[in-house]
Amino acid sequence: MKKLILKSTLYIFLIVMVLEGIVRVFHLGKDTPTRFLDPQKVEKWKPNQNGYSVTGNRRQNFSEYHINSSGYNSYREFTPTYDKTEIALVGDSFIEGFHQDYYNSIGKKMENLLPQVEVYEYGYAGYDFADQLHLIHSYKKEFDAIDHVILGIKFSNDLTRNTYQVVTGRLNLESPINKMLKKSKLLVYCKSIGVLDPPQEFVHRLINTLKRKKKPAPIHTNEALKLKQEKEKEYLANFKSLINKYGYDKRRFTLLLDSRITSPIFLSYLKQNDFSFIDFAPAFEASKKPTTLIYDRHWNNQGRSLIANAINNYLVNIDLNRNKLKLPKD
Amino acid sequence: MIFNSFDFFIFLPIVFVIYWFIFNKKTQTQNAFILVASYIFYGLWDWRFLFLILASTIVDFYIGQAIYNNTLKKKRKAYLWISVVFNIGLLGFFKYYNFFIESWVDFISMTGYEISNTWTLKIILPVGISFYTFQTMSYSLDIYYKRLTPTKNFLSFATFVSFFPQLVAGPIERASNLLTQITSKRNFKYQQCTEGLKLILWGLFKKIVIADSIAPIVDDIFMNYNEYSASTLILGVSLFSFQVYGDFSGYSDIAIGTAKLFGIELMSNFKFPIFSRNVAEYWQRWHVSLSTWFRHYVYIPLGGSRVSKLKSVRNIIIIFLISGFWHGANWTFIAWGAIHALLFIPVFLMGRNRIYMNTVVAENSWLPSIKEFAQITLTFILVTFSRVFFRSQSITDAFGFLEQMYTHFTFEIYQHPQGYRMIDYFVLIGCFVVYEFRIRRDERSPFKFKSKIVRFIAYALVILGMLLFFDDSIDRSFIYFQF
Repeated sequence: MKKLILKSTLYIFLIVMVLEGIVRVFHLGKDTPTRFLDPQKVEKWKPNQNGYSVTGNRRQNFSEYHINSSGYNSYREFTPTYDKTEIALVGDSFIEGFHQDYYNSIGKKMENLLPQVEVYEYGYAGYDFADQLHLIHSYKKEFDAIDHVILGIKFSNDLTRNTYQVVTGRLNLESPINKMLKKSKLLVYCKSIGVLDPPQEFVHRLINTLKRKKKPAPIHTNEALKLKQEKEKEYLANFKSLINKYGYDKRRFTLLLDSRITSPIFLSYLKQNDFSFIDFAPAFEASKKPTTLIYDRHWNNQGRSLIANAINNYLVNIDLNRNKLKLPKD
Repeated sequence: MIFNSFDFFIFLPIVFVIYWFIFNKKTQTQNAFILVASYIFYGLWDWRFLFLILASTIVDFYIGQAIYNNTLKKKRKAYLWISVVFNIGLLGFFKYYNFFIESWVDFISMTGYEISNTWTLKIILPVGISFYTFQTMSYSLDIYYKRLTPTKNFLSFATFVSFFPQLVAGPIERASNLLTQITSKRNFKYQQCTEGLKLILWGLFKKIVIADSIAPIVDDIFMNYNEYSASTLILGVSLFSFQVYGDFSGYSDIAIGTAKLFGIELMSNFKFPIFSRNVAEYWQRWHVSLSTWFRHYVYIPLGGSRVSKLKSVRNIIIIFLISGFWHGANWTFIAWGAIHALLFIPVFLMGRNRIYMNTVVAENSWLPSIKEFAQITLTFILVTFSRVFFRSQSITDAFGFLEQMYTHFTFEIYQHPQGYRMIDYFVLIGCFVVYEFRIRRDERSPFKFKSKIVRFIAYALVILGMLLFFDDSIDRSFIYFQF
């Protein structure tokens, strides 16, 4: 028995070592850039990092990222001035675009369409509307020098807060233990493909059984509808609260949304109150090719091209160059 | 609890350690512990159906003794009938009741009368019922045929019926093999344990990497068969052949390997059926425990091949139809059984049904001969064709599938709706077939390499394969659980 235990342990150790090597050599696991909180309490990536983002067990999607000196994934540095024409894209992982090579991002596609414009992509996974407005508010000087700002918004996710607070959960990923664990590429790979989900679920089930948590009562259709309406009202109130608190320049700011998954109440509020928005739903619906990745719901190359086109068409319509909307220097 | 779940990953080492460290002194306490563990294993799925297992255990335990203690043939036969009727009754009610009612209603409607179907019930099929009822029946049958002396120890018998490694999907054991081991003293053997662990590893590979990874492709093709051309449909049914083999033989390997950890040797259930040279050899290699069950308890009592050719053909048709029906309450399974009977009969009439019994393909060479290669390919094609019926939801779907194949006899490159990279799966299946061919001589030694380094590389590659093809989003239960 002792022999069995000793040999099994040795074999497991050696196999783990070999797998760690294979994952590293074939770059099966993704690189995870370091996060940090800047002096303005804006959460972003630590500047000047490079790496590769990997999706799927067998590297089905492999792309390179580059974090610039502003802390965002982009091929260019963000240097807004009053002399140039700049567009800022602010949003979550869809704008951040780790799922694409950084030199083939939405911003780059837009610049190809509008050569005289510089596009700055302020994308960060998990950014909601509070994060976005807080970022703009904190870097007011820089954003004032930008001609137009596009804010990506997903109604059901991005309006759950009415004020900005640092999301400690995300920053906890930079704890010494997590940093140490991240050094094992095998562990990162296993986590990303879901191998570690069953043990986690097992632990949760065990805790729930020990705590004897009551199962939530099933919700009836009418009740669910009522809850949904209440949530929509709450999100709308959060939107109002956030724009009051951090400011929102209707002339220069435009929301980027998908009307298929946006509440009609919110859409009618935007229309009634002259908030500009770009709805990319028609372009996605008309697309004959898939618009998202296979193993991931983020936009693929086709999706990103459609988004770039939709923003480009909008900017052409508002005649960006003739209406220099930048705020005065002083 | 299923073998490829994390729960089992925790459950097995705990049971193993307690079994060998705490209850290693007495066989009876080991058996009692295994019984409790088996009931927990089964009860975690649905504890209510434990009563069915218990009922089947009690009935056959006492009937076995009654048959043995009676010398009058009539009485012995009567007791045997009680066992058969009870076990078949359980199966009939839980598995076939709705099928018979629906078939009756359909039959009446075909004659022009319309009757409303109000008799079908919402019945949950207890997992493993087809397996443990056959196992307990074999106990009574063996005593009746005087091949076995009944045990007087209820605990041992209950352990035999519910032994968790093979409780839900076999191998369907005979008491002469399993019960004898359960009543005897078991000693920890290092060699046996390592063999068990290797079989578990290989079984998990077959399940996770082969069966589970191709399941979404097979599901898509069978679900949307009317949108695809013949080449895609052929791809779908061929992949299903590998899926069902990986799934069921993977389960059997894990079951045999797990039993080895407890000092028990179960019978082999799969002997590389993909390398069969004719349909008869296929049935000597596919689901061996079921085919031998039918041979011992149905085919031979009917006269087997010792009667006239005509009667032998009748016997073959009977066992294949029953075997098909055993798989599920659906006409598709009966049609599948009938196809196999039709494929088997010519082999039997030519006297070629036993010629490959003790040999494997390429017995003394590295590669099969051209003749053997052609035989294997033909057998694979025939068996795979029958699987159209095995996999389809209904007879209408099966014929629809074949019709689509005939009417859209064109070639097109298949693209999975979710964009799966198909080349990965072709390479995987190719490597799997080559490896299975490499180990074809011994189904119990999947990692038989002289060099320790090569063996280690094989372990590492198998685990790497599991990571590369792991998919947490799919249903991971075993196909044969539904039977």
